[in-house]
Formats: sequence, C-alpha cells, structure tokens
Amino acid sequence: MIQPQTLLNVADNSGARELMCIRIIGAGNRRYAHIGDVIVAVIKEAVPNMPLERSEIIRAVIVRTCKELKRDNGMIIRYDDNAAVVIDQGGNPKGTRVFGAIARELRQLNFTKIVSLAPEVL
Amino acid sequence: MRLEKCWFCSSTIYPGHGIQFVRNDAKIFRFCRSKCHKNFKMKRNPRKVKWTKAYRRLHGKDMTQDSTFEFERKRNRPERYDRNVTEMTLKAIKKIDKIRVTREAQHHKMRMRGKKAIEQEAAIKELENSINLVKAPAALQQGSEITLPKIKVKVSQSQAVGERMEE
Repeated sequence: MIQPQTLLNVADNSGARELMCIRIIGAGNRRYAHIGDVIVAVIKEAVPNMPLERSEIIRAVIVRTCKELKRDNGMIIRYDDNAAVVIDQGGNPKGTRVFGAIARELRQLNFTKIVSLAPEVL
Repeated sequence: MRLEKCWFCSSTIYPGHGIQFVRNDAKIFRFCRSKCHKNFKMKRNPRKVKWTKAYRRLHGKDMTQDSTFEFERKRNRPERYDRNVTEMTLKAIKKIDKIRVTREAQHHKMRMRGKKAIEQEAAIKELENSINLVKAPAALQQGSEITLPKIKVKVSQSQAVGERMEE
C-alpha cells in the first residue's frame, strides 16, 4: 500500500538509499501501489559518489511491502519493510545487485533481470 | 502442497490458512492464525506461553523423544513418484498416527498417576476441618464421625406411585 509521500528502502546498489514515492505509473486515480507496480520517486537519501544523487526523480518497481500480498493458492505473505528497485524506462534495473528477498510476482510482470539477481525469491 | 508447522504454536498449517512473514534476512515465519501472528508481533517467546507446544515440550507436559517423530522430519530430497511407495506411505501414516496417539496418552497417564491419592487425602483433610458446615455441633457431640449416617426411610407402595402420577 504505497502512496505518494511513502518512504521506501532501496533494495539494490544503484546509489540511492531512500526513495519517496511521488506517483503510481499506469494508474489514473489509483490510491495505492503494491508489489510489482512501477512508481515515480524522488531520491531522499543517496550514497555519496554514485551516479544517482539526492532529489533526482527516477522510476522504481516495488519489490517488498509491509502490507500482505495475497496469492491465488491462498498464501499470504508479509515482508518487514517497503522496498523498491530503481529501474530505467525499459524496466531494467539501474544497479547490478539486488538485496533481500523478492516476491515471485515480479517474474510474471517481466522483471526477469531483477528476479535473476535476487538472492532469495519468495 | 506442503503442510507446514506454525512457528508459534507448532500446529499444522493447511493451505489457505494463516500468514507468512518474511524477515529482512529472508527467514520465513509461518503462523496458523492471527492469534499466533499477534503474539509474535508482541515479541512473546513461545517457550514461555503456556498453550504452545514449545512450552509443553520444554516443561515435560508432552512427549519429547519418540521414534514416531522421526517419520515427520523434513526431507529436502524430492522423491520420484512411485505408486506403490505412495500407497504404503499413506497406510503407514495412519498407523504411525495411531501409535503416536496411544504413546502420548500413555505419557499423560504416567504424568497424572498418583493424582487420585493426593486428591483423596486433600478431600479428607478438608472434611475434617470444615465438618461444621455439614453436621450440626449437637450431632457432632453425639457421634464425631465425619461420615453422614445412613438413614432408612420406609416408603409405602401406593405413596410412591401417587407421587409419580403427580409429576
């Protein structure tokens, strides 16, 4: 349940540390974004000396939410934090590594590169 | 499909039930219902919460070591499907469950032995102390037994029948 003003952790090594959601892509007046949705975000905190800097506007895909994710087989999964991976316009991750567990739903949404980089897909 | 165990209370989680919580170090905690989930969020230790299996095993209330538990250990090697093996396994599961239940009942029985004697003694002591609630002091002076005397009352046949009719 990510909405504008939500702070998200960054789950890759692209250089950003914390993002603030500004807008949900592909949704007219939709209120919340869930795992697998692309959002427009502004970088609130960045690692120094990296290509991405503070207050840059980038796109990211949400990979973990504290709000439960419901699956068709009845399984309900909840993560410990809200996290996103910075991507470019084509949907490819900007970083080279991904940290933490990633939800399996991203594979169906054609984020295969992120899924392949993930240490754990749950 | 896999039947998991609840992290908090150790009961089986059937498909479609409960919530799985994935911590940031990728450890999965499965809960059978919101009661266990909420207790976990309160940071309660299942070994200290009386109704969980962890507590019961730790405090010797339930059977801890038994050969029937070996059958339920998690094996990570997938077995090739063999119809005979499946058939035998299903039969074995039933039998093993039955054996485990009887052994647990035996364990409970051994744990509770001697309870009747203790209860009897406590009851006798209580009767001795509070006989005044049961028998009047005058009656006590006549006979100081703590048992009530058996009195035979003669009831005539017609009277008994009449009472039943009234009811």
